[in-house]
Amino acid sequence: MMWRNVRAVVRREYLQRVRSKWFVISTVAAPLFMVGLFVLPIYFAESSERAEREVAVVDATGVLYDRLAADLEEGGWRVQRVEWSSTAQVELERRAELGEIGGFVILDERTLSAGEATFYSLSRPNSLRRLTMRSAIARAAMAHALEERGVDAASMLRGGDLRVELLSEAGTGTEDPRFIVAYAGAFFLYMVILIYAVAVMRATLEEKTSRIVEVVISSMQPWHLMLGKIVGVAGVSFTQMGVWLVSGVLLTTLGLPSLIAAQPDALQLVDLADVLPGAGLLTLFLGFFVFGFFMYSGLYAAVGAMCSTEEEAQQAQFPLVMLLVVPIIFVLPVIESPNTPMATGLSLFPLFTPILMWGRIAGGGVPAWQIALSFVLMAASVLAIAWVAGRIYKTGILMTGKRPTLPELWRWVREA
Amino acid sequence: MHPDGPAVRLRGVSKRFGKRIAVSDLDLEVPRGVVCGLLGPNGSGKTTTIRMIMGILHPDEGSVSLFGGDPDLVRRARVGYLPEERGVYRKMKCLDLIIFLGEIRGVSRAEARRRGGDGLDRLGLAGWADRKVEDLSKGMQQKVQFIATVIHGPELLILDEPFSGLDPLNQDVLEEIVLDFRARGTTILFSTHLMDQAERLCERVCLISNARKVLDADLAELKASERKGVIALEFSGPDHWIGGPEVARVERADGGLHLILTEGGDHQAILRRGVEAGAEILRFDLVEPRLHEIFVRHAGADAAGDAGAPLATSGRREGQPAPVSGGAR
Repeated sequence: MMWRNVRAVVRREYLQRVRSKWFVISTVAAPLFMVGLFVLPIYFAESSERAEREVAVVDATGVLYDRLAADLEEGGWRVQRVEWSSTAQVELERRAELGEIGGFVILDERTLSAGEATFYSLSRPNSLRRLTMRSAIARAAMAHALEERGVDAASMLRGGDLRVELLSEAGTGTEDPRFIVAYAGAFFLYMVILIYAVAVMRATLEEKTSRIVEVVISSMQPWHLMLGKIVGVAGVSFTQMGVWLVSGVLLTTLGLPSLIAAQPDALQLVDLADVLPGAGLLTLFLGFFVFGFFMYSGLYAAVGAMCSTEEEAQQAQFPLVMLLVVPIIFVLPVIESPNTPMATGLSLFPLFTPILMWGRIAGGGVPAWQIALSFVLMAASVLAIAWVAGRIYKTGILMTGKRPTLPELWRWVREA
Repeated sequence: MHPDGPAVRLRGVSKRFGKRIAVSDLDLEVPRGVVCGLLGPNGSGKTTTIRMIMGILHPDEGSVSLFGGDPDLVRRARVGYLPEERGVYRKMKCLDLIIFLGEIRGVSRAEARRRGGDGLDRLGLAGWADRKVEDLSKGMQQKVQFIATVIHGPELLILDEPFSGLDPLNQDVLEEIVLDFRARGTTILFSTHLMDQAERLCERVCLISNARKVLDADLAELKASERKGVIALEFSGPDHWIGGPEVARVERADGGLHLILTEGGDHQAILRRGVEAGAEILRFDLVEPRLHEIFVRHAGADAAGDAGAPLATSGRREGQPAPVSGGAR
């Protein structure tokens, strides 16, 4: 009997939301927006300057061209070699004016000794182009100089290599520290938990202000209604994130290679694939979201039930927003040094766990027992919050008028 | 549970909100198969009483039972409730809303869809099943809500001010439906401040004023027992003989006058005086008092002032000007 009730509420909540225009727009728009953010600028930059990327290199030194050409090609230039002669410059100026080449660069003694060169062009190349050109020339000159002395220039220029051997057992995480994954993931968790928990609050408030709740409550227990709402919104969030996940996977497995095939210059995007989290991290991420959502949505449902107007709810949710903002403030130091006592302590506080524990795991590695403990603590918190929030909800959902004070709230919890 | 207990029974029920007493020591019994009106002016405690029956509020004292048993066990499946503040999910389609409200009361989706469709057809909303509730007028929304209220075939209908907000035409439609349910043996308890309506529909009335019950009786018996009190009078000629120690008040009604007698007043004395005064008596009739008059007699004119407000034709007292200027006094 009870489950039929709850199922009806879940179904209603889910279908109403999934069918709404906003859901469709936000679900589709978010990934498109992300793709656009990464791909479009590169795509446009690449395709709009075909002629400009054509560059002639006059190598008066006779030793730099091979190295430089490879480097420039990788940076998006198309390079052609022109032998040094007294008429070379005049000839190249003419070709530039005809639009055959975007410009030409002349390498001489100063290039060898100081990495300086002159780039002749009709239009001023953008800063990115200047930078790739400049660093390519400097690298080529440096590599040449180093190799003359018998140094492994390639390795040096890559930035060498530092291997880390951990002496303690603290960092048992298998994944390498990846700052972007840790930080972006933490922020994403913050956003989705907040958005969906607030959705629960709004739904509760709407039922209350429209008075439909009186009819509903006369047919079912308040606690079932609250459970149904939360599960319904959870379903919506899974659907939305599922769409995002699938489109993300499709994008990286199918979209990226075909993009690279069509646009070889976008090759630098492949680095992005290295940044994406693996399956293990994704599972943990979903785990943190689920528990975070159930903890916060319970609290938000209680807030929605105790308020009578949107304005009141805005004020009353302030402490909850704070609970979400605090871990965001701490997430940077926690990612950087994930195993300090402070990081450990904060990340084990259940309401901070989703964001901070995620930051620690993605940022470096956390002993497995701490991850397990944090999930146990979150599960316990979900139950405790459900108990308290359910009681506040039960009394509050039918109340009108002034928002209760803290002592009154406590009485609701005790007496419900 | 007693299978033959009354549909509704309140025993010594009280409810306070802070210092304000909303309902005080109320006993109420609605036998099965009866239409009972809960009457009283605004703020007299009707809605609070109904909410306690529906388990939305819990009485501070006293007990509620439905069909002789625990109300929480029977309410969902056997009671249909239309609250005074009629909430809807505005973004839902009409039929979906009805199905949802049926589903949470244990009706299967298919069955709820069928019954909901029938209900919409019957109330002239056939083309609106797939429209959003917010597209409907208030009166239409109210019809949808009524359909949802009875979707699970309840044995007891509890309607809080079901007629408010409806135009006269739709009031008639709803009245017909209520009578239809009565004919099928459904017990109905509804609150109203419209005495006319109550008079037409109810077999039993419960009058509440200032949180207290003033009257709770079978309407026909009540009228019979109060019959002596009112004389319908039509005459021509002098009128000085009308006033006398037997007459408490005079009201205009039905194109003539209603004389409301004092307790134990002798109507024969008035008739004699009239004949002696030379008036031509066209009608001298002991009438059933109107519910409004009974209410005034029991609760006082102040209480009835609110409750009787819409009854301008029969309710205004003789010699008193229209309410507008009367209020300025």
